[in-house]
Amino acid sequence: MKIFVVVPAYNEEKTIAKVMEDLFEMGYEIIVVDDGSSDDTYNIVSRIIKEKKHGLLCRHLLNRGLGAALRTGIEAALIEDPDVIVTFDADGQHDPQDILSVSRPIINGDSDVVIGERNFKQMPSSKKFGNEVMNFITMIFYGIKVKDSQSGLRAFNRKAAETIIINARDYGVSSEIIGEVKRHNLKLVEIPIKTIYTDYSMTKGTNTSEGLKILAKLIMNILK
Amino acid sequence: MMIELYQIIAIFLGLVAITLSILRFRDGKMSLGMLIVWFLIWLIVIFISIFPNSTNYLASMTGIGRGLDFALILGLLLSFYLIFKMYNKIENIEEELTDLVRELALQRRNMGMEEDDKVKNKSENEKFADD
Repeated sequence: MKIFVVVPAYNEEKTIAKVMEDLFEMGYEIIVVDDGSSDDTYNIVSRIIKEKKHGLLCRHLLNRGLGAALRTGIEAALIEDPDVIVTFDADGQHDPQDILSVSRPIINGDSDVVIGERNFKQMPSSKKFGNEVMNFITMIFYGIKVKDSQSGLRAFNRKAAETIIINARDYGVSSEIIGEVKRHNLKLVEIPIKTIYTDYSMTKGTNTSEGLKILAKLIMNILK
Repeated sequence: MMIELYQIIAIFLGLVAITLSILRFRDGKMSLGMLIVWFLIWLIVIFISIFPNSTNYLASMTGIGRGLDFALILGLLLSFYLIFKMYNKIENIEEELTDLVRELALQRRNMGMEEDDKVKNKSENEKFADD
């Protein structure tokens, strides 16, 4: 079983080294996509890969957003003949132990796509609101109800990774993936995962203003 | 006939815009189609400024009432249409840019990390050179 972990990273110099070391320790194949970071992310990742003689690094010469980075990572993984592709945030909010939990339904053949569902009860209220809005929006626009639409920890089998086409470049990607799952009749399950909230990871991801931006984008997509 | 200030400004603006369009076309920065479109738009603006009453006919024909209202509504609609076209165009360019950035990232993945890779890339380049 080849499990590839795709880590999209944009200006994550503070956390990326720790995240990569944890993943290497657990023996996963890693693909880091540096999304045109302006900090030292690229150099840190490339140094670690050189040291370990392991792992892949793709670099976006320009910052193209989370969705674009995820697609690059998934396409890079598909070249390597994977069994499972897992997406994993670079800000250190996920527990590497959870990779196995989200991969298990795929390895057992029970599901095509797995979303790691964060516990909303433990979520700080500023984030909880944004995430609840996004769940609601995902339901309205894609007609599918999930408990956590914006989670960064997901797992795909090969078939799903090949069929799902990601066009969204920004944070709207999470909802789009769920929409694609429905469009192609793929099987989706949600598995509870742990989230590690640090002061650092609090400043990133889906907060209220990011949620509003995604909403504007989705409406624009309909009008196009 | 009294010449109002707005007429002078509009005619001046129209002439400047037409000159700029022609210059851009000559530099190859504007296509012939776009030059014609802009030329027509600014000619209409100049024409309406010189003969403001000419819009009365169109206004009564479309049921808008006043000639000036007709010109304003037409201008607004046209502006919205252009913004819409521009938005779509920018969106397409963003998409193409992303595809390009991705292709480069995939082709050059782990570039310079392993000596083997360098050799492989080099021989591939040489193969292309031979072709």
